[in-house]
Amino acid sequence: MDPSSMNSPELQNLLAPYDSWILGKLLDAGGKVATSVKLYLTSVIEYFQQEKQKAMISEMISKLTSACWDKCITGSPGSKFSSSEANCLTNCAQRYMDMSLIIMKRLQQ
Amino acid sequence: MDSFSSPSSGSPPKLSTDDIMTQLRTQLEQAYAEEFLETVRGKCFDKCITKPGSSLSGSESSCISRCIDRYMEATGIIGKALFNQRH
Repeated sequence: MDPSSMNSPELQNLLAPYDSWILGKLLDAGGKVATSVKLYLTSVIEYFQQEKQKAMISEMISKLTSACWDKCITGSPGSKFSSSEANCLTNCAQRYMDMSLIIMKRLQQ
Repeated sequence: MDSFSSPSSGSPPKLSTDDIMTQLRTQLEQAYAEEFLETVRGKCFDKCITKPGSSLSGSESSCISRCIDRYMEATGIIGKALFNQRH
């Protein structure tokens, strides 16, 4: 982003409502603002990292359920899972994790 | 327009980071709901509509209903299996 774009009207319009507020805060609070802004930004970054983590986990559950359903639910869906179907699903997920670990270890050698 | 001399106002402008975070969460939830629906449609179509007729039969309808329930149950089982694992 080249310095001249900092003066673009679009950017100025976007930032305008914040200017007088930020300026006021800076003049009032002096050095204390820097610390509190840093803390706030840190918590925002942490929030996004947590959301990203949650999204990755959801994605894995989604993919695994699809794959394990295909492997384990061979007939027509019943009004409840048989114990072999339920065990198969559990085993499927856990064996997938075992496999992931093996693959990771192998690639680290 | 001398904003330097006026005292600071208490509250920040309208668009807050909280709004952005809430919007992000809502959009993620919507995206997951759509993906889930698409998957369930595919799986239950495969399982239940083996020979498409001129309308949905009663057995096809109840198969679809059971299929949705079982798929949601399967999602729960997989989730639990992933986080109960002890190496």
